[in-house]
Amino acid sequence: MQRNASWTKWWELLRILTARNLKIRYKGSVLGFFWSLLTPALTILMYAVFAHILKFNKGQPHYLQFLVSGIIVWGFTVGSLNDSLFSIAGNANLVKKVYFPRAILPLTTALASGVNFLLTFVPLMLYLALTGTLAWGPGLLWLLPAFAFHLALCAGIACLVGTLNVFFRDTQHIVGIGQLAWFFLTPVFYFPQMQLEAAGFLGAWRGLVFLNPMTGVLALYRRGLMGAAEQPLVPPAFAADVPAWWIGVSCAMCLAVLALGVAALRRGDRSFGDAL
Amino acid sequence: MSDDPATEIRDDEWAIDVAHVTKRFRLQDASRSLKTAAIDLLRRRAPQTFTALDDVSLRVKHGETVGIVGANGAGKSTLLSIIAGTLRATSGTARTRGTVSSLLELGAGFHPDLTGRENVMLYGAIMGIPRETMRRRFDEVVDFAGLEEFIDQPVRFYSSGMYVRLGFSVAVQVDPDVLLVDEVLAVGDADFQRKCLAKMDEFRGRGKSMLLISHDLHTVRRIADRVAYLARGRMLGVGDPLLVSERYMKDSVLEADAALAKHEWGTGEAKFTRAAHLDPATGKEVEGTFECTDDRPAFRLHWHADRRLDDPVVGFSIADTVSGRNVFGSNTQIAGFRIGPIEKGDGSIELRIDASNLQAGEYLLSFSMHSGDHKTNYHRLEHGLQLRVKNRKWFDGLVSLPVQWSK
Repeated sequence: MQRNASWTKWWELLRILTARNLKIRYKGSVLGFFWSLLTPALTILMYAVFAHILKFNKGQPHYLQFLVSGIIVWGFTVGSLNDSLFSIAGNANLVKKVYFPRAILPLTTALASGVNFLLTFVPLMLYLALTGTLAWGPGLLWLLPAFAFHLALCAGIACLVGTLNVFFRDTQHIVGIGQLAWFFLTPVFYFPQMQLEAAGFLGAWRGLVFLNPMTGVLALYRRGLMGAAEQPLVPPAFAADVPAWWIGVSCAMCLAVLALGVAALRRGDRSFGDAL
Repeated sequence: MSDDPATEIRDDEWAIDVAHVTKRFRLQDASRSLKTAAIDLLRRRAPQTFTALDDVSLRVKHGETVGIVGANGAGKSTLLSIIAGTLRATSGTARTRGTVSSLLELGAGFHPDLTGRENVMLYGAIMGIPRETMRRRFDEVVDFAGLEEFIDQPVRFYSSGMYVRLGFSVAVQVDPDVLLVDEVLAVGDADFQRKCLAKMDEFRGRGKSMLLISHDLHTVRRIADRVAYLARGRMLGVGDPLLVSERYMKDSVLEADAALAKHEWGTGEAKFTRAAHLDPATGKEVEGTFECTDDRPAFRLHWHADRRLDDPVVGFSIADTVSGRNVFGSNTQIAGFRIGPIEKGDGSIELRIDASNLQAGEYLLSFSMHSGDHKTNYHRLEHGLQLRVKNRKWFDGLVSLPVQWSK
């Protein structure tokens, strides 16, 4: 193998491995990739039905739409996170037998989760459109940076977690409990202003909640899907302390995580062969 | 035998250049955890290491085939993995020129859930071969592996033989400049082995370079231009296939001598007490390895019987130390020599073998004594004696058969 070969050559491999990853996901199931559409559709239905029965959206306009958009976006993050745990350790047979840039393996799981996520977006947007909460118009373009930074974040996490799990098998347990904590730290099921209120002890620095990259990413998605009136980037009540540019902190964090992940992977690459 | 190959091959000639490679593995628990890592760090405990390769250098020229021999654990596979890039050297460098295809530890790195077809395409992508090219070569891959019916089955349903066949096939068909092969011939059937050898010959013929590990010294001698000998992580020598492999053989026989050499079983009603060569000059008994200068080496076997035995039969077999395979075996019954009833107590028998048609090399002799109806095995003495046959005439294979040519 030419180790100095250009990266263009590895694109093909990345493509094939991503396709492989998606293929294996639904191998042997009758409905195949339709599950990617069916699962979120049924998830939305389930939330709608139980929200109706339990009336937990009482008094909050469009809470259900807010909630399911959060759930589906969060689904990409944890889906990619959990898949990437064994992206390297689970491919020992490949890693031990042929050389190729190891980054391809975690990137593949992030990409495959990303493709899957784009599919889940179809029923989500359909649902928002049917309930009249989808903000048609150029505002939808916010979804592009949202997905780009989200993907960068997931790729970074995948590299980091995939590498760590080769050397420390405790990683999977830490990730399991860590993602629950992260879930509660992210305004998935509660409103962003509640998060900022809770961060009141930070005073003028309460914008630091955007250090959680998912806070900003989620705000970008919701801004794109439901419009500025329903979902401004930053809750107007806190506009004085937290101007909209704080979203940039989350975006920067996404890139920082990506850089950290890549660095960890490069460091780990020296001894993957030994550890597997 | 030249011990410093690096000086022989110029900088612009090599396809593989291994320079002073040392590889240490950390010995660690099966499951390493954050806890143990933290403890190690706190106690500043240096992790225990195992040196798999110790300052190994080797150059393989363009178009050259080099075989690597050595006992299990000598570092052969580690060396190949470092050249292939799947392991990193602790120190030193390993470089290759051109595309490298490797077949390490039986198999090309297939995914069990994917079909043979998908795995072939995946391997092609890993090797950086455009999809179109790979499609064109696909039929050849399948044809060579002989897997037409199974190519669309997930490889986890493959037998180990099928797995290796597909692995070798795809590794060769991607047409690399350098091919690294680890023990591919050990698994395939005879037919596939022949195909592999033919393919490797063709590969050599096209001026490609090859580095292969094999325990089958006959194959190594046949296919390699030079042979490298690794023992306990050190490169003991690189050079002429015959000389180097012979040296390895000699060493391994000496080791085998100490370790596995003799074992025995049987009812013990009669037991061999001593097996010895007879010195051709003096007729005296000699124990240990015997160098056969005479074409008809003689042996004397002593036994002790616990009771009278009516019709004992004494047999022997000669095994090739390289392959472990029996070359020849016979007994007194087959030869029509009746020992007759033996009384309780000691006795002996002499045996003379015409070894003039035996290939030069090391052999192990085993002896047995059993009842005339073959129902009771009194004693079997495995590898009781060693015989070293000196090179006298040149032929290929283990035995020289009478040949007549005509026109």
